[in-house]
Amino acid sequence: MGKSEYALEMIGIDKLFPGVKALDNVTIQVKKGEVHALVGENGAGKSTLMKILNGAYRADKGEILLEGERVSIQNVNDAKRLGISLIFQEMNLIPTLSVTENFFLGDLKKTRLGKVDWRGMEREVEKVFEQMDFTVNPGSIVSDINVAEKQMVEIARAISKNAKIIVMDEPTSSLTENEVAKLFAIIEHLRGQQVTILYITHKLDEVFSICDRVTVLRDGQSVDTKAIGEIGRQDIIEMMVGRSVDMDYPRRSVRPGEVVFQAKGVRVRNKVYGIDIQLRRGEVLGLAGLVGAGRTELCEAIIGAAPMQKGEMWVKGRRVRIRNTTQAKRSSMGMVTEERKETGLALDFSVERNISITNLKRLARCGVYLDKKQEAQAAGAYVEQLGIRTPGIRQRVVNLSGGNQQKVVIAKWLFSDVDILILDEPTRGIDVGAKFEIYQLINRLVEAGKSIIMISSEMPELLGMADRVAVIHNGVNKGELTGDNLTAQAVMRLAMDEEVPD
Amino acid sequence: MKTDKKTLLNLLCNYGLLIALLLIIAAASVFSKEFFTVANMLNILRQSTVVGIMAIGVTVVIIAGHIDLSIGSTVSLAGIIAILLINNTGNDWWAMTASVLAGALVGLVNGAIIAGIKGRTCDSFIITFGMQTVVAAVALIYSGGNFLTGRGRGVHSLIGKGYVPILIFLGLAVLLELIMKKTPFGRCVYFMGANPKAAKMSGVSVRRNTALLFVIAGVCASLAAVVMCSRVSAASPTSGKGYELDAIAAVVVGGTSMQGGKGGILRTLLGVVVIGVLGNALNILNITTYPQMFIRGVIIIAAVLLDVLGSKLSSGVVSK
Repeated sequence: MGKSEYALEMIGIDKLFPGVKALDNVTIQVKKGEVHALVGENGAGKSTLMKILNGAYRADKGEILLEGERVSIQNVNDAKRLGISLIFQEMNLIPTLSVTENFFLGDLKKTRLGKVDWRGMEREVEKVFEQMDFTVNPGSIVSDINVAEKQMVEIARAISKNAKIIVMDEPTSSLTENEVAKLFAIIEHLRGQQVTILYITHKLDEVFSICDRVTVLRDGQSVDTKAIGEIGRQDIIEMMVGRSVDMDYPRRSVRPGEVVFQAKGVRVRNKVYGIDIQLRRGEVLGLAGLVGAGRTELCEAIIGAAPMQKGEMWVKGRRVRIRNTTQAKRSSMGMVTEERKETGLALDFSVERNISITNLKRLARCGVYLDKKQEAQAAGAYVEQLGIRTPGIRQRVVNLSGGNQQKVVIAKWLFSDVDILILDEPTRGIDVGAKFEIYQLINRLVEAGKSIIMISSEMPELLGMADRVAVIHNGVNKGELTGDNLTAQAVMRLAMDEEVPD
Repeated sequence: MKTDKKTLLNLLCNYGLLIALLLIIAAASVFSKEFFTVANMLNILRQSTVVGIMAIGVTVVIIAGHIDLSIGSTVSLAGIIAILLINNTGNDWWAMTASVLAGALVGLVNGAIIAGIKGRTCDSFIITFGMQTVVAAVALIYSGGNFLTGRGRGVHSLIGKGYVPILIFLGLAVLLELIMKKTPFGRCVYFMGANPKAAKMSGVSVRRNTALLFVIAGVCASLAAVVMCSRVSAASPTSGKGYELDAIAAVVVGGTSMQGGKGGILRTLLGVVVIGVLGNALNILNITTYPQMFIRGVIIIAAVLLDVLGSKLSSGVVSK
């Protein structure tokens, strides 16, 4: 042991999928006890590489070394046994079980009588949590705790299992700034204990604030590995995209017009307590707030995806009652959800079919017979217009990268031709290049007279994209900010309910 | 070499059933001269129509990610209604219409409940299971528990004869295939099966469509009943008992996935034919009932295994 300075080396990894070379001679060397960033655009091969590391896929070529020794990882259990632990964006916890049960899943402790030793396990969980300064109650059911807490539980679980290498995939994508700070403290703590962390992220701020070295992947190849001190943000971006990118938010030329949508006194059981909202033609209204503030619930109620307890709505001056998403669509409203894989797409279906689903009527001759030529044309047009990177409109969506999947979701709402579009965290888990394209797309939409409500937890995005920001805290609209009043500090203060706006 | 193996596997998953069908026909033809004749083939098709019509109806439900276990009882009830009304009124058209309406009503109740509670597969399993008992009871009560002999000599008596049942079966299959592949409704059904949440968020009328699915299954079951009791000119309050499982087996053997979102009416058609041909071949080969059951069970399991393997192959999980 300890022969090598590297805790983990993946050398010359190749992976072929039907028609695509996902990884081409990728090499990454991670030093012991460092926090190593892995960055790259969507589709660069990060996820594939990590799936090879945890045994979900097998490499076609190449080798994996742990502390200098060659290992063979055939399946997920091999990876676990070798002390490799992955914390995915999609949580690996079972929502209906308690934190403690999840913690010990697979090897519940027993008392001498063969009964499950709940007390003992809970005490152990408490001990680990205490070490890491968590405040989660081990008895709570996982579905009742928030995303940040779930993540903490996963990290704690990995550590208690003696994980030597922890891979974190976009760990901060659904965390608030406070929670991110806490996560970073935990990462520091782990670094102190010589745990090696592979940190996958799209946020360069994080690379510079927490990581020691960074490896950049591009188009399935490893571009380079650099120490953080040696390079700047622009260097990383250029390595990622192979060209220089304008990091500013795109400007748009349109001014908001007349009010197209209005909601008054919206209430959702236990989540939203009387919110008023107005949206103008050609406007981007940002919805800011901490995770769990009730923004998503508000929007789901507006488009009829969840029951609205109380509230009145007007679209283009006409009073509307919306009890389901079909009625919302008829009133020209649609929502791009945060969980695109769960609620946005049929992953096994083609790009084409995912786009057309919102407006099959438009394709139906005499209302019954689908015109497939027209469908293919429409889908092809959107693929081109939005720059969706796919081998063709028949490609199954599951094979596309996150950013391109998101574009498909947006395309389907463009096809439905709604005027009011709600975007819930539209750039979550999307790389820099694709983000910029989404922003440009948003601008194009509002310039074409559409109106957008954008829920976002990323401050720069809100400030850069929204004409106006409404800040939600605990289900209440704490205030709206525009123009010079719209600053990061002001949004944060309202979101944390620290101060009443003047 | 690698790719050769893979294409072979792919071929097996996609056309395994067709290959199996050809093999059975070839094998049986060697052993018996009567097997591969037009008369025998028509006979097989005619025998398959009742379960076949049920199967194409329930295929639609299964593609949407649901299941309908009540169709067997619906066959019993619809058969009773048809024969009773023909005997009592002498008006065949009215009797058959009432029979089909009864099937539609059972489907509507199923569908309304399942759509109302926004049920998933497990809900439709239990609810249609309950409905199976309810409908079976109604059939028994309505008939007084008696076996009914048809006395009619009108249109209805012709429906089970000659090519008519085969044409009804194939006609329905083509109609449903068109509905599923060419209409917005069909497209929505596939989408609901693949991801019901995404369907809902896309503004698909999930509830209305769900209700409609079960109505289709109910109507098909009652049409199957009309054909069946014409063929035997009789109806028993338990005549459809267990048929729902035969129908679902045909769907599965055809390759429509119980997960929803995948499969099709034509696949079910093939499944029905394969099961029919196999049963007939085994009969001709003098294989008795019990080993036949065994073989049928093995084939259902094999169909599921092939389906799982096929979807793994297409998603690239199986490497090499």
